[in-house]
Amino acid sequence: MTGAIDGHLREITRRTALGALGAGIIGATVASWPRLSGTDIPGRGDDSLSIAIMGTAADAAARQRAIDAFTRLHPEIRVKVQAIQAVDWKDFFTKILTMVAAGTPPDVVYVATEGAQLFAEKLAHPLDEYIRRDAADMREFFDDVHPSLVEAFMYKGSLYQLPMDWNAANMYYNTAAFAQAGLDRPADDWTHTDFRNSLAAMRKARTSDFTPYYWTNRLFGGVVPWLYANDTSFLKETKSAGGDWLWDGFYANDPSRSLRSGGYQWLEPNANDDRVFESFDYLRGLVKDGLGVRPEEGGGSSLVGLFASNRIGTTPAGGYWVQGLHEAGMGANDFDVQFFPRWKTQRHQFGTAGYAIMKTAKDKDAAWEWIKFSSSREAMELIFPNPITTPARRSMVNEQLYAGKGPAHWKVFYDTLDRFPTTGPIPAPPQQAAVETALMKNVSLAVSGDEQQLKQALASMQRDLELALRRQS
Amino acid sequence: MSTTTPPRERPRGAAGRARTTTARTHGAGGTGGAATTGSRHNQRWLAWIFLAPTILGMGLFTLIPIVASVVLAFFRWDIISAPTFVGFNNFSEVVQDPTVRVSFLNTIVFVVVAVALQLGLALALAVMVQEKMPAWLRVFFRSAFFFPLILSAASVSIFMRYLFNEQFGVVNWFLSLVGIPAVPWLTTPGGSAAVVILVYVWQNFGFSFLLFIGGLASIPVETYEAAAIDGATGWRKHLHVTLPLLSPTTLVASVMAIISALQVFDQPYVLTRGGPGDSTRTAVMVIFESAFQRLEFGQASAIGVLLTLIIMAITAAQFRLSKRFVFYQ
Repeated sequence: MTGAIDGHLREITRRTALGALGAGIIGATVASWPRLSGTDIPGRGDDSLSIAIMGTAADAAARQRAIDAFTRLHPEIRVKVQAIQAVDWKDFFTKILTMVAAGTPPDVVYVATEGAQLFAEKLAHPLDEYIRRDAADMREFFDDVHPSLVEAFMYKGSLYQLPMDWNAANMYYNTAAFAQAGLDRPADDWTHTDFRNSLAAMRKARTSDFTPYYWTNRLFGGVVPWLYANDTSFLKETKSAGGDWLWDGFYANDPSRSLRSGGYQWLEPNANDDRVFESFDYLRGLVKDGLGVRPEEGGGSSLVGLFASNRIGTTPAGGYWVQGLHEAGMGANDFDVQFFPRWKTQRHQFGTAGYAIMKTAKDKDAAWEWIKFSSSREAMELIFPNPITTPARRSMVNEQLYAGKGPAHWKVFYDTLDRFPTTGPIPAPPQQAAVETALMKNVSLAVSGDEQQLKQALASMQRDLELALRRQS
Repeated sequence: MSTTTPPRERPRGAAGRARTTTARTHGAGGTGGAATTGSRHNQRWLAWIFLAPTILGMGLFTLIPIVASVVLAFFRWDIISAPTFVGFNNFSEVVQDPTVRVSFLNTIVFVVVAVALQLGLALALAVMVQEKMPAWLRVFFRSAFFFPLILSAASVSIFMRYLFNEQFGVVNWFLSLVGIPAVPWLTTPGGSAAVVILVYVWQNFGFSFLLFIGGLASIPVETYEAAAIDGATGWRKHLHVTLPLLSPTTLVASVMAIISALQVFDQPYVLTRGGPGDSTRTAVMVIFESAFQRLEFGQASAIGVLLTLIIMAITAAQFRLSKRFVFYQ
C-alpha cells in the first residue's frame, strides 16, 4: 500500500496499516465502554412509555385516538407507539428480540398466543400484583371476557397479559359456491364427513379455477384445527397447577371454573399418535382427490383476495377476516361462517393477543396503567372500530360491529367459546419458533404423497419436535 | 500510487525504503530541506485522516463483529441471560444436528447448480450480445440483464411466489394452455428447489454477464484475426481463443458467484421457508433460525464460523487451481 500524495509520502507498510487497524479496534472498544446501545442515538431513550405493536405506521396512527384518551386520563405518562412490520408473529417476535439485543427493548409489547409463553418465560413481567391491587376496577373486564381467553395467558400460575382480541378457526364458506352445488348452510354439528361431502359437491359443480378447500401451512388455521377436532394435537397438552387466585377471584361462578388452571403446558411431542396420523391422512385424502390444496408454508397473504374473487369454497379463519372481505368487495351475504366440523369432538383452536409488560420496562406502573386503560370498553372501541378482529369483550361482538358487512351468522364467533368451553389456544411453548418450524416443514410432505411418505413425515416431525422441545427454552 | 517507483519494482526492506526516500527527494528537485520535511509530515497526517474513517469503520463493523462472533461460538447466549462458556459444545451439537447437516448439503448442491447455470448463462448471453447485436441493442440488453440485480431479493421472491402458485399462478396457467397439468412448484422438494435456483439465477446472472462483457471487450481483435487465419472459426474460435483469454474474468466471476451463492438466504426464506421438509433450507437460513428464532446465538455463531471456513477453503482452492487454468495475456 502506498500513500499517494504527489509521490512524496512515506510508504504505509502492511505492518503499519495492521497496527493502525489494531489501534482503531482498541480505540473503538475503549470508546464504546460502557456498551453503546441504540438508546445512545439522539432522540431515543427518552422517558416515554414505548409500546410495540405488529403493523404499519397506519396501524400506529389508528391507535392515536386511544393514546389521546389515555393522555387525558394520565397526562403525566407520555406514550409512543412503534409499529413493527412483520409477515407473521414469529417474524414480529424476531424483530422485538433484535431490539432487545440492540439495547432498545420496548416497555410494552402486543403479543399473540404464539409468543405468550416465550415472553412469559424470558421477557415479560407478571400482572398478578396489579390485578390483585386493582381487583375492583378489573372485575368488569373479567365479567365481559371468556375465561378460555384469559387462561391462554396464564403461565405457571401467573397471568402475563390481558386478552384484547382473539380469533377462533371457524369455517368460512362462499354462499354462492354452496348454492351452486345445491348445498344448504351446514348444521352447527356438521362432521368431517359432511365437510368432505360438501367439498366433493362443490368440486363437481365447479371444475376449473376453483378450490373447494384452501388452507395454509401455519400454526393457526393449518392442520391444528383438524387435530383439535379429532381430540389430539402434535404436542401433548397438559396444564400446570395454580392460578386459583384469579379464577376464584373473578370466575368463581363460571360454569367452566373447574376446567381452569395455572396455564397450558406443551412438554412432549405427540406426532406419533394414531389420531394425528388419522387427521393427516384425512387431509392427504382431500389433497389427493383435488378437494383441497397442497398447503404452502406460511401463506395467507393472498387468501382474502382469492376468497373474495369467488375462487375458494371454504377456508378456516376467524372474525379478523370480515373487514378484509368487505374491503375486497364481498357483500354481507356473499359469505358466511360456521363452526369448525366435528370429529371426535368439536373443540376449536383459537389465538388471542394482548399487551405484555417487559421485565426491562422503565416504569412498570405506567405500563400497567396503559394495559388497564386498553382493556376498558372505551379504549377497545377506539382501537377496534371495525371487524378487523374479534374483540375479547363479549359485549362488543354485536350486531353493530358487523352491520352491512356480514357474515349473517356472526354470533358463531363468540358462541365458539360458550358452546365448546374446552376450545384451546394455539400450542405454543416457549420454544415456539423451533416447534412451529418442526411442524410446518413436515406438513406439506405429509399430505402430498402416499401413506409411506405420510408415515415418514410424521416420524420426522416427531424427531424434530423432540429436538425443538429439548432446546433451552 | 507513487510516480517514482512503480509497485512491482518497489524496493523492499530498510535499504529499499532509504533508496526510495532519496529518490523521491531528488525527484522533487532536491531543494527545500526542512520545508519539504514539514510538508511531508503534513501530508502523512492528511493521509491518516483520509484513511481513518475506513479503518475505524472496518474495525467497528467488520473486524470486531468477526472476532465477537468467533468468541460467541464458545458460549451459550440467548440475549437475555448472561453468556455461559460451553467450550466446543456448540460445534459438537451443530455437527450432530441433522437439520444443519442437510442445510449445508443443500447449500453445496445449490452452489454447484446455481453457479454453473449463472456463469453458463451469463457467458452465453455476453458472447451473443457482444458479437451478434447491433450497438444500440447491446446497450439495451446490458441494462435489461443487469436490472433484476438492483431489485430487492425479498420483493422479487414475493412476486415469484405468486407466479408459481400451484392453483392460481400465471406459470401454471401458461402451462395449462399447452395441456400441461398444474405443477406443484412450491410444495414438492424438487419443484421448490428448482424455483429457488431459477429465481436466484435470474436475479444474479446480470453481474457475471457484465463482467464477461468487460472481459470480452478486452480481448484484442488481432487475436481473433490471427485465429481466423489459422482456420479457427465458430465454436473453435470461442473454445481456443475466447475461453482461454476470458479465464481471468471467469476466475473472478466464479469466486464472487460461489461466495454469494454460499450465503443464499432471501430467495429460499421468502419462497419456501426452507421447505417442504428441509429441501430448500440453506446454511444461512439455519444461522438465522438459530439466532433470531431459537435465541441460540452461540450455535448460530458456530454455524457461521463453519460456513466461513468452508468459504475460505473453497476460495483458496479456486485460487490454487487458477494457477493451472487461468491464462494471463
